[in-house]
Amino acid sequence: MDFLTLLPYIGIIVLVVINALLVLRRDITVD
Amino acid sequence: MAYFQEHYVTLLLTIFYVLGCLYIGWYFKKKANQGVEGYYVAKREIPGWVISLAFFSTSASTNTYIGQAGKSFEYGLSWAWMGFIWTFFCIISWQLLGPRMRFQTARLKSFTIPDYFHLRYKSTLAKSIRVLSALIILFATLWYMVGIAKGCAHVLTSVLDIPYEYGAFAIIAITCAYTIWGGMYSVLWTDAIQGIIMFGVAILMLAIPFFYAGGVDNLMESISQTNHLTKKGIPMKSGLVTFGELVSFLYILGIGLAVGMKQISEPKNLIRFYSVNNAKSMRFAMIWTPVFLGISLVCVMGLGALVHGMASAEEAAYLIKDTDEVVGFMLDKFDNKLVSGICVAGLFAAGMSSLASVIIIIGTAFVKDIWHVVKPMKETKIIPRTKWFMGFYCVLVYLLTLFPMAGIVELTAFAGAVFAASFFPAIFGGLYLKWGTDLGAMTSMIMGMVVNVVWRFAFRFNIEGWEDIHEIIPAFAISMLTYIVVSLLSKKRKPDGEHLKVVFGSSL
Repeated sequence: MDFLTLLPYIGIIVLVVINALLVLRRDITVD
Repeated sequence: MAYFQEHYVTLLLTIFYVLGCLYIGWYFKKKANQGVEGYYVAKREIPGWVISLAFFSTSASTNTYIGQAGKSFEYGLSWAWMGFIWTFFCIISWQLLGPRMRFQTARLKSFTIPDYFHLRYKSTLAKSIRVLSALIILFATLWYMVGIAKGCAHVLTSVLDIPYEYGAFAIIAITCAYTIWGGMYSVLWTDAIQGIIMFGVAILMLAIPFFYAGGVDNLMESISQTNHLTKKGIPMKSGLVTFGELVSFLYILGIGLAVGMKQISEPKNLIRFYSVNNAKSMRFAMIWTPVFLGISLVCVMGLGALVHGMASAEEAAYLIKDTDEVVGFMLDKFDNKLVSGICVAGLFAAGMSSLASVIIIIGTAFVKDIWHVVKPMKETKIIPRTKWFMGFYCVLVYLLTLFPMAGIVELTAFAGAVFAASFFPAIFGGLYLKWGTDLGAMTSMIMGMVVNVVWRFAFRFNIEGWEDIHEIIPAFAISMLTYIVVSLLSKKRKPDGEHLKVVFGSSL
């Protein structure tokens, strides 16, 4: 399997991890 | 009797699942009927884990678990770029829109997406935006519902031999019943249960080809070099595992954007933000929703390509003509009653969770954002009329499911592009730009629709090399630009400072 075919599978995992770290650092106000 | 012996596992699991959904609807009946806020947005008191699973199960439907999963049979493993784009927009939606939308809609006492436009931009023109957006919802949602009902009915036909018309009736009637009984409460709680089932089934479905082939190495070896033919009759060879060989990246990008951008614009998704109960729940959902969606998409987006390892050359030649049959073929070939039963429950969960979410959007859009605006009614009449309209619309969907017109899949993708181009600028501007105006919102909404239609029907398929450029790309860009330019040119129309203080609060 070439790298660009494999990339989205790894990319999704990396994406959700980065997102979690960003959310944990953020102040959240809802009301 | 032989029928029951053959299907008893699937039947039992399906009946257990259906009774569970109906029980949830019945359980919340009293609570949901206490007032419009309860019925429409579950009084904004739903915990984060429920909202998170509900957002995931609403976004993914049978179109995902059957249609998209099957597509990689034709396009290979790089089809998963679709899932990547989709997950990216899920994150954007929660990061960019989630907290602000919850904050502003609570302060404005907004219960629907169309009424947010009206309450935020606050003018007579904003009232027209509310009605126009409700009409777009009514029209665009119809094809989506027919597509899902059709997908579920086909599952019932192929797995349980239930005639198509009975299967379609059962799916629509059951979903309609629990949605009408418990309003947004039952939609969210059934969505959450369905989300858990869908997450498990995505992982289970991914495991099937590997078990069948006898391990990772065996399966990857057989799909890395295959003599199966493409749709055009050319041997695939290493196409399934090679980037850009079976489908152009531009094509994946277009479809990926059309499907992915629904996360940031479609009312059935955005309404989830309204019901979150507090900041802690919001944080939980912001982290976990992309995880549920992303992991599920990793599992299903490449599934079709893996099924090549289970199919003979003759079977592959048949399946390549209709990739919607790939998942059913996989379950038949694996031939394990329990696995098939669980997967069928997962496919139902995928269909019904999306169906229920749009049924309630339809009811609220018609009664509160069209009827109530044109001819105001007593508060006590809103819920009963919403229920009646949901019932009526479900009958209409059933009739269209019995006699489906061609091109429903294309119509659904087109509807997604219309939502993204028409709704997102007005929502984003409403949440972030104090200088955004009603005129900016209205013109961007109309431009979004016009560019979508013109690009698709006048340019896209008539100019060489443009057919892979999905209409969402120009429509979204022009609509966003229109919102900014027209808002800046009509600065005098922005709401007064007092109103903006209510909208934005002091802490934002």
